[in-house]
Amino acid sequence: MSTRMHLLSRHLLLFLSVCACSVGSCTGTLYAQDLGGIVVHGFVSQGFLFSSNNNYLSMKSSDGSPQWTDAAVNISESLGDNLHVGMQFHMYQLGQFGGSNIMVDWASGDYRVNDHFGIRAGKVKTIWGLFNDSQDIDAVFLWILLPQGSYSIDHKSFYLAHVGGDVYGNFFLGKRAGTLHYVAYGGQATIDLNDGYIQTFAELGLVFTNSLGGKTYGGDLQWETPLRGLVLGSSGNWLAADGTAPAGSFHSPAYTVPSMYGKFSRGKVYLAGEYDRIPINATITVGPTVIPFVADGRSWFAMGSYRLTKKFQAGSYYSHYVNKAADTTQPANYSKDWVLSGRYDFNPYFYAKLEGHFLHGTNLGYYTSTNPNGLAPDSKMLAAKIGFSF
Amino acid sequence: MNRACFLILLLGSLCSWSAASAQDVVLVANKGVRISEITNADLRAIFMGTKTRFADGSHAVPVILKGGPVHEVFLRNHIGEGPEEFRSDWRKVVFTGQGAMPKAFDSESALIEYVAATPGAVGYVSRISSQDGVKVLAAVK
Repeated sequence: MSTRMHLLSRHLLLFLSVCACSVGSCTGTLYAQDLGGIVVHGFVSQGFLFSSNNNYLSMKSSDGSPQWTDAAVNISESLGDNLHVGMQFHMYQLGQFGGSNIMVDWASGDYRVNDHFGIRAGKVKTIWGLFNDSQDIDAVFLWILLPQGSYSIDHKSFYLAHVGGDVYGNFFLGKRAGTLHYVAYGGQATIDLNDGYIQTFAELGLVFTNSLGGKTYGGDLQWETPLRGLVLGSSGNWLAADGTAPAGSFHSPAYTVPSMYGKFSRGKVYLAGEYDRIPINATITVGPTVIPFVADGRSWFAMGSYRLTKKFQAGSYYSHYVNKAADTTQPANYSKDWVLSGRYDFNPYFYAKLEGHFLHGTNLGYYTSTNPNGLAPDSKMLAAKIGFSF
Repeated sequence: MNRACFLILLLGSLCSWSAASAQDVVLVANKGVRISEITNADLRAIFMGTKTRFADGSHAVPVILKGGPVHEVFLRNHIGEGPEEFRSDWRKVVFTGQGAMPKAFDSESALIEYVAATPGAVGYVSRISSQDGVKVLAAVK
């Protein structure tokens, strides 16, 4: 076992001990740990990947890999009717990404003036599309992997949160018109050194020793329609990134990432769909060589699930991604994924998931370091996860 | 004969379904809350955290039971969700730093005690007695 994995195990053990203490000290049914007004929540999940042909997400998944651990704990307190403060620590290992560092996932103060206007400041999760802000919270979803064309798990650090602030609110339009929810934000977004973008840059000859990033701003408008359960929305995110490495630099002028989405959730049924575009027109400079880093990613997905029993939920989705800036007939420039998924909740806190992926194309989730002999165009993958949340 | 038995069973099950669906919870609020009725849309918004005030403008403090049939009936009849979906929606809010989950109680007596003592508190129980020190809210569609 590498030193990195050993460190991760120690940190994870410590983290699990904290969780176990929290659980052990509670009586009755557990919702959260309330320590005199300070509320503690947390989750831990352990995943396993097994794939045919290619190695996925920087793991040796063709041999079967358990290198996928997530854990977080948060503390929060309400200071009066309108002010809420909190902080969440998060650690994850996903193949070669993440690691033993415990990161601040979010840390913010939230002052809600009234239902129409509130301010949230600090390190804040970025609200974009259906799932961006919650994409790393496994306990929330039926799915083990979200549609990767829109929520690429190995590139999440740049999109997940920003240091800055949000304004948000709701407008109740009456019984016949529903409710409007809005969020607008601005700040600084960072690509962590343990992110997939950094690995991609390294494979192109640019090894970063410091994280990079840039300004970001954007917003989300969501309409809770009068048809109960139907929500329609649209988001826009503007991002720029710059960074300097010992051997060169990376420069990405600001680009816009729009998203349009809808979901319908009523009783046991859940349906959702989203369309996104990610146009990147960046350059990588290594010594005297300038390498264009260009993509015009178009992605959409459609998903549906049904709760068969109180404890068991099943569903399926199709995720479609193409890079329109390249030859879209080549498997290296698209990624299409049919997914079947099931989740069993043993009780409100423990759950297990199983998911099958039928992958076509190799644009997303593959790295040369774990696929030195090239990639087969199609692959099948089985993912399993067990998790705990309180 | 078989057909008659089938019809009796069918009628019986329909009646029991009607009885079950007719059962509802009692909505309770702190005596300082000035409204006497509340719409299901407002209840949903308050218990999902998108609304923090009653129709009269006063601050609302939703409280819930941790589980059980009363909790499930309340969620299905007034919020329009099952307990699993409700929990999942709140997990998303809590783990993204966008709010705090309503205070949850093991028992109805503990919930009533909290509602009676907390200005703006609103919750639900299966029944109340005149000594409980809370007011009953009527739910309107």
